[in-house]
Amino acid sequence: MIDFDEELSYYKPSLEIEAIEDAIVKSDLTDMTDIMMELIKERKE
Amino acid sequence: MDYANRCRRIANGYYNQGLEKAKIRDLSGAAECLKKSLHFHKYQTEARNLLGLIYYEMGETAESLVQWIISLNLQPADNRAEEYIRRIQGKLGRLDAESQNIRKYNQSLALAKAGNDDLAILQLNRVVEINPHFVKAHLVLAILYMRRGDYTKAGKSLYKVLQIDKSHPKALWYMSIAKAHTGRAEVERKKLNNAFSHRQMQDDDIILPPTYKETTGWITIINIMVGLALGAAVIWFLVMPAMERQLNHLHNEEMTKVLEQVNQKSLALSALEEEKAAMEAERNDAMTNLQAMEENEQGVVLQYQRLVQILKAYEAQDMNTVAAVYSDMDTSLITDQQSAAVVEEIRNYMETEGFQVLANLGNAARDGGNQEEALSYYQKSLNIKGDNPQVIYDMALIYQAREERDQANELFGQVIMNFPNTDLASLAKEARGY
Repeated sequence: MIDFDEELSYYKPSLEIEAIEDAIVKSDLTDMTDIMMELIKERKE
Repeated sequence: MDYANRCRRIANGYYNQGLEKAKIRDLSGAAECLKKSLHFHKYQTEARNLLGLIYYEMGETAESLVQWIISLNLQPADNRAEEYIRRIQGKLGRLDAESQNIRKYNQSLALAKAGNDDLAILQLNRVVEINPHFVKAHLVLAILYMRRGDYTKAGKSLYKVLQIDKSHPKALWYMSIAKAHTGRAEVERKKLNNAFSHRQMQDDDIILPPTYKETTGWITIINIMVGLALGAAVIWFLVMPAMERQLNHLHNEEMTKVLEQVNQKSLALSALEEEKAAMEAERNDAMTNLQAMEENEQGVVLQYQRLVQILKAYEAQDMNTVAAVYSDMDTSLITDQQSAAVVEEIRNYMETEGFQVLANLGNAARDGGNQEEALSYYQKSLNIKGDNPQVIYDMALIYQAREERDQANELFGQVIMNFPNTDLASLAKEARGY
C-alpha cells in the first residue's frame, strides 16, 4: 500500500529561474576524464 | 587507446542510447543515459543540449537553462544551446510566466506537505493549465487525488504524464495503483486475454454466411418509425444542446454588456456624487469666509467707534474712560495711516501711565466689593504692562480671598520668582505660608 505522505516527501521544490546562477556556480562539472588525468598526474609525481 | 579517448567513446555510447530513448519518448531513461554520458565526458555538447531539451519538455525550465548555459560556456561557438536560450528569452514575458509557475508549484508542494490538500490541488491545477508539460506538478496532483480517494482524476493526471514521458517509473507505479482502484486493471487484463486467446481455426469449422431476409410491409413501417425515433433522438441529444449552448452564450454576452453598462453608470454616479460633495464643501467654505468678512467688517467699525470714544474722553481729560475703552480695543484692525498714528500715541500713553489708571480702577472696584470687575481691570492693566508686581499681588490677594488657591498661589509664585528681594515678594511668601 502506498504511503502518500512518504511519497510526497520525496518531491523537492523545482529550481526557480532566479536561482539559475547559483545552480550553475554550484554544479560539479568533474567528469571521468578529469579524474583519470588527476590519477595519472598523481602516479607520475 | 588512451583513457581520454575511451571516456569519449563511452560518453558517445551513452549519448546514442539517450537519443534512442528520447526518440521513443522514454524521457526519464534518456535523461539517465545523458547524465552518464556527461559523467564520462563533460564536453559532450550534444548530450548536454539534449538533456536540457528533455528537462524543458518535462516542464523544468530552470534546469534546462542551467544545462544550456553550461553548454555554451564549454563550447561557445557553433552550439545549438544559443538558439534554445534565444527562443526562450525571445518571447516577451514568457520567462516571467515560467518563473511564476515554478514558484506556484513550489508553494503547492509546501501546502500539500502541510496537509492543505484542497488549496494545493487548486493551485496545481492552475500550474498544469499554464504548463501542461510540468511532469512533477502532474505527479504531485495525482498523489493528492489518490490521497483523497479520487483515483479517476489521478489516472487522468498520470495519463498526461505518460503521454509526455512514456516510461516514467513513478507515473507507471501510480498508474498501476489508480487502475487497481478503478477496476481498469481488470478490464485491460481481460482485453489482453481476449486479444491473444483466439484459437487456431480447424479444418472442420464452418463459417455461416449471413442470410438475406425478405422484408415485409410491417417491418418497413417499424423501420421508418425507428428511423424517426432515432432522428428525434439526434435532434434532442445533439442539436438541442448546441442550440441551448449558443443561446446561453448570447444571453451571457448580453448580461455582460448590461453589467458593464450598469458599472459605467455606477461609476458616473459616484463621480457626480463626489463632485456634489466637493461643491458643497466649497459653498460652505465661501459661506464661512463671507461670515468672517462680515464679522471683521463689523469689528473694524466698532474699533473706529472706540477710537472716537477715546478721543472724546481724552479731550475731556477723562483718563479712566480712555484706559477702560482702550483695554477693550483691537488696535490691529485700525489700518489707515492717520488713525494708526493716533492709536500709536494712545498706546504710548497707556504703556507709560494708562496701565496704572486701569490698576487704580481695579483698586476702586475691589474696594467697592466688586472682585470680578477688579480682576478684569487688573488683567487689562497686565495686558498692557505685564511686569507690574503690585497688580499681580493684588490679583493674588483677591483669588486668595475667594479661596481659589491654585490661581492665587500661581500669582504669588510669579511675584516671588520674578521680583525677588522686594517687599511684595516677602508678603507673597508669607501669604503662601513659607
